[in-house]
Amino acid sequence: MMSAQVETRGAVTLTDRLADAAPAAVEVCNFNVRFSAEVLAVQDASLMVRPGEFVSIVGPSGCGKTTLLNHAAGLLPAEVCSGIFKVNGRQPREGSHDVAYMLARDALCPWRTALGNAELGAEIRGVAAAERRALARDLLAQVGLAGFEDAYPKALSQGMRQRVALARTFCLDSPLLLMDEPFGALDAQTKLQLEDVLLSLWEKTRRTVLFVTHDLSEAVCMSDRVIVMTARPGRILADVRIDLERPRSARSLQKDPRFHELCGELWAKLEEGMTT
Amino acid sequence: MKTIGKRGRFFALVARVLLLMVFFLVWEYMAAKKFVDPIMTGRPSGIARFFWNEFFVTGNLVAQLGWTLLAVSGAFILASVLGLFVGMTFVTNPFLDAMLNPIFTALNAMPRIALAPLFLLWFGLGISSKIAIGASLTFFIVFYSTLAGGRSVSQDHIVLARTLGASGTQMFRMFTLPSAVPVIFNGLKLGLMFSLFGVVGGELLASENGLGQTLALLAAAFNTDGVFATIFVLSLVGVAFTSVMNTLENHLLRWR
Repeated sequence: MMSAQVETRGAVTLTDRLADAAPAAVEVCNFNVRFSAEVLAVQDASLMVRPGEFVSIVGPSGCGKTTLLNHAAGLLPAEVCSGIFKVNGRQPREGSHDVAYMLARDALCPWRTALGNAELGAEIRGVAAAERRALARDLLAQVGLAGFEDAYPKALSQGMRQRVALARTFCLDSPLLLMDEPFGALDAQTKLQLEDVLLSLWEKTRRTVLFVTHDLSEAVCMSDRVIVMTARPGRILADVRIDLERPRSARSLQKDPRFHELCGELWAKLEEGMTT
Repeated sequence: MKTIGKRGRFFALVARVLLLMVFFLVWEYMAAKKFVDPIMTGRPSGIARFFWNEFFVTGNLVAQLGWTLLAVSGAFILASVLGLFVGMTFVTNPFLDAMLNPIFTALNAMPRIALAPLFLLWFGLGISSKIAIGASLTFFIVFYSTLAGGRSVSQDHIVLARTLGASGTQMFRMFTLPSAVPVIFNGLKLGLMFSLFGVVGGELLASENGLGQTLALLAAAFNTDGVFATIFVLSLVGVAFTSVMNTLENHLLRWR
């Protein structure tokens, strides 16, 4: 318990120092979320994310990972939150163009084609038709769906649907991407493929990503840092730097000993978080 | 489930035609030999003759069909537009919904065909009273399906729309309305049949024109062949309505 707290503070001061160079993409300080007198979802969280960083949040189910993302997207009512939480130096606001949110379920519109779904976000945010369509078409090709532009979601597999959702997310020009277990519902094989698709999309623009997952190896293979949270009330237990070289490939990392070492390290932290 | 192939479907068609032929031949024979009373059952040959004369020679049935179709269109369009509008207003305005929904439930619980005499009193024997009767039936069907459809928008879509910063209009146009279309369409399909039902019912009660009025006149004159021929025309109308709506549905909802 004691050591965990020391570690948390240590991580913050380290990131504080790094944050001097560039303004933080996400800045969280002594942040709490209390849904009711009994339910304290997040307790005293502090976290700095630099622009371009890929940060994963892991923790036991119900530890407030998704709550943090929801707040970053401005979806939580102000009265349940206290402390500092800033996105691009501003209070999170619902519908802000600063963030693009990708949900655990694909949330595709069944009445729109793959192309129509890929451009949906940009359409809502007022990007001109020709521009967003060209971008959506390009992104569909990048996620491996060239030729499926006119297919309706009912004709696509779960993996393909999540590819469309990826294209829809990257079609937005937001500097911060929020991803809530985007590959949680996929089988192991498809998951590895999609992790590589996400890595390759991310490498091109290096936007800031907050990535929530319960899969430790996924967190290690994607991220620059992994934040470990405890069971409810969710506190930040550890902030682990992942020093694997980039560009990475989820599939080839499976054979890397350092990768497994980091996974083991995180497991130990996570178990600690479940018992405290 | 077992399926039958192309050949199977062809044989099913042949068997169906044979069955109908046998049915009509037995009917004709029984009526000709007076095993059954032709005044009660009519005769297939008489029905065909009446249909041919009144439909293609004098054109009387066509004219009456025209009146009925006009009234059905009026009732259906009026009730659908109103039902969609009021339904969507309730979906987007929970206060109105909470205030008025019990009243609508009570109105819907009334056997509205019992209002027909009142509508005849208010709107006269002409086409307006038929439109009113048909519309009073169709409105509630379209209204309730719009309400159900408008509430069927998925929670994921709502979260997505909120994070994207969708305006109220965008939310409605891009999520609520398309989500509602399948349910609304079922309501429209049923509503069209109920418009037909209401209009013909009104014409049967008291009318200047229409197939229902023709039916009432022929029945009063014990012209059973004519009654059957008119019913035949009405069922053709029903079949045509259903197939038009199905074609429209398959096109509009091809994404399903």
